[in-house]
Amino acid sequence: MAPISQERSRSRWRILDVVAAAVVTIGAIAYLADVLALRWGLNVAYISASYPGYLKAAWISVYVTTISYVLGMGIGFALGWVRSTQARPLVKVLAARRSEAASATAADGGRSDRLFLGTLMLYGFKYYVHRAADAYVAIIRGTPLLVQIVFVWSAVIVYFPRLDPLLQGLLSGIIALTANTGGYQSEIFRAGIHTVHSGQVEAARAMGLSRWGAMRYVVLPQAIRLVIPPLTNEYIGLLKASSLLIAVGSIAELTTYGRFEAFHTAHVFEAFALVSGIYLLITVPASKLIEWVERRFRVPGLGIQAPRTARV
Amino acid sequence: MIRVEDLEKHFGPLHVLRGISLEVQKGEVLVIIGPSGSGKSTLLRCINLLIEPDSGRVFLDGVQVNRRDIRPEWVRQQVGMVFQSFNLFAHLTALENVTLGPIRVLGNDPKVAEAEGRKLLARVGLADKWNVYPAQLSGGQQQRVAIARALAMNPKAMLFDEPTSALDPEYIREVLDVMAALARDGMTMIVVTHEMGFAGTVAKRILFMDAGRIIEEGSPEEIFQHPQQERTRTFVGKILR
Amino acid sequence: MAAIVATPTRSSSFPLGLSRFAIRGAEMALGAVLFIILLEYVLQFDALDPVLWNLYLPVFLSGIVTTLRYLGIILPLSAAIGFAVGWARISRLRTISWPLTVYVDFFRGVPPIIIVIFAGILGPSLLPSRFRSEEIGILIGAVALALHSGAYQSEIFRAGFMSVPRGQLEAAQSLGMTRGKAMAYVVLPQALRLSIPPLSNEFAVVVKDTSLLAIIGAFDLFGSSNIFTAQVLLTPGNQLSWIFVVWTGVALVYFLMTFSLTELLNAIDRRYHVKGLEAVTV
Repeated sequence: MAPISQERSRSRWRILDVVAAAVVTIGAIAYLADVLALRWGLNVAYISASYPGYLKAAWISVYVTTISYVLGMGIGFALGWVRSTQARPLVKVLAARRSEAASATAADGGRSDRLFLGTLMLYGFKYYVHRAADAYVAIIRGTPLLVQIVFVWSAVIVYFPRLDPLLQGLLSGIIALTANTGGYQSEIFRAGIHTVHSGQVEAARAMGLSRWGAMRYVVLPQAIRLVIPPLTNEYIGLLKASSLLIAVGSIAELTTYGRFEAFHTAHVFEAFALVSGIYLLITVPASKLIEWVERRFRVPGLGIQAPRTARV
Repeated sequence: MIRVEDLEKHFGPLHVLRGISLEVQKGEVLVIIGPSGSGKSTLLRCINLLIEPDSGRVFLDGVQVNRRDIRPEWVRQQVGMVFQSFNLFAHLTALENVTLGPIRVLGNDPKVAEAEGRKLLARVGLADKWNVYPAQLSGGQQQRVAIARALAMNPKAMLFDEPTSALDPEYIREVLDVMAALARDGMTMIVVTHEMGFAGTVAKRILFMDAGRIIEEGSPEEIFQHPQQERTRTFVGKILR
Repeated sequence: MAAIVATPTRSSSFPLGLSRFAIRGAEMALGAVLFIILLEYVLQFDALDPVLWNLYLPVFLSGIVTTLRYLGIILPLSAAIGFAVGWARISRLRTISWPLTVYVDFFRGVPPIIIVIFAGILGPSLLPSRFRSEEIGILIGAVALALHSGAYQSEIFRAGFMSVPRGQLEAAQSLGMTRGKAMAYVVLPQALRLSIPPLSNEFAVVVKDTSLLAIIGAFDLFGSSNIFTAQVLLTPGNQLSWIFVVWTGVALVYFLMTFSLTELLNAIDRRYHVKGLEAVTV
């Protein structure tokens, strides 16, 4: 076979493959839609009449998500910072200090003792702040968001019983989502700061920068570039997680609205299609865009693998 | 024992092999030199059918092997290959790397394969590393295990694709020594390399390839001392400074 | 590291393995107790109220058992789906990979609660009328959760497959292995080992996702506890602070479940870890 015709047959296979793939994909979707529409009836009139209501509910979802996200970012950054400081092993620090104290002359014996105690206390304090932050994040990541939401809601109901139920719900929802995203975002920030931190702070200080200066001019600019993709992923994740506010019931976000409509108009499948459709319309293009940006601007070896962001 | 006639290969618009023909006798060591991108690696992979040529014929012991009715796996059992990046199986120890082929492909008894494997590791000078994982070995040691792994299949011939190009200089010697010993023991070898010292002492014939074609072939003296073609002269001049 | 004893020792590094685990476990237990005491003070409840536990304990335990039963279905099912889809998606045949990509994108883009709710409602109507009950609905919801997690796991497995260097397959084939054998003995072992760390994360998420089944009526830990607290709220004369005890207990159990699952998988990872093999982000 002449080489050219072989190549042509290979690209012919590719075209066939692409066409078959398109046919199978679209065919499967069409078949599924047809079956579902036939069985449950696709009431297009309902969809075209009521979709504004869904869009409004979607807007509330976005609204609540954004507030919690921004508030959570403050928590996340603070916690991430705290957790990125490395605590040298307690015993090494103590040994160093004790040997310093031993070699000091008797004249300033009192001072070095106080120094020792001071280090112990400061170290202890820093260490426990670090551990407390760790504990917070571990709890957020180890418990379901539903449990977190209901917990906060219970606290709000018990301690603010005279508040309007809608406000109670809104407050609990935002607090719970904020706490949740704060935990996950702290992981992102911690990873970002840590990735840049090693070595470069030393180099910066060797150049004469202070520790804060090193942070400001060396670590943070790089860290910011590193954390943007996972942070945007986290926003999308939080938007999906906001669907769990259905547990509160008094916030008219998209999922609550959808389930309400489904039960009260018996147009179950249409409600499902609308709700899924809207979520997909927001999340899929956004995710693809982030993936594309990540791939395009990726520097091999530089990047953080943040853990699975909040889904539940 | 290995013969190749009029090999052609395209990768999309790239014409990588433009009618390559060569022949290697049993026990002969053939070295292929040439600039990068000249198609040397592709040629090797066509011989053991890792790559299917667009046209042309590959013969092993007089039998054409690039045919639909011959399984490429069978061909690859007869011809071993050593890669530039070693490609040792990272999840297996050195001995397990060596015995995987005999046990799973040839169906040999594991105990027998193990004994043979230890002998082979000793032959390449790594008897004591049988239980070590590739990540714990130096580059030179990994490549020697790779050679042992290929030898474990009892191949009729061995292909070497720039076996020392990825090695730190201090490890090149040990690998070349193993290869030279193999040649002395009568193995048929086709070696793509930049190591001119090895080519000069061990090779019986040298092939110079450029841009998908064989430009010149001859004995080491002929190629290094009296290159006929202009391009050969330029290349050899650059390499042998 | 234990911070209780502050005497400098000659070697400041602890031996690896069990003792480090034991120290971390002790620290966590201490932290948990401290945290609960703190919560008790802030929210004004008594964690060990015997009257409450008398009523709640059976609910608590049966909820845990139900959750574990759902996990027994969802975890293996999602792993199987994830593995199969992940493998299929690296196929060169677009006819296979395209439809599966649509499946993955759909189940990743829609929040799981929606999938669970509508699977629970719409699912049973797909079956013959004999099977249309709420229980079956919950089961279908669980299958939907498996499909959902399977989509995420397929990405994990796919990344695992793609992280195995191409040269490994070449080398295996150069020894005369068929593609099948090369996959089985060389590529798969490495791909699976690479997949374990992100998989442990995903399994923890599945544990938490089981709480979603409560929304469609399941009596898992969250669901039955929710019903219990609703009854507490409605019965006058009951201390409202009982609610916090219940939810603290629930949170603790979920935490223990996710923690032990991830620790188990980490231990497996440590045992089978391949040095020098890195996962690439897909």
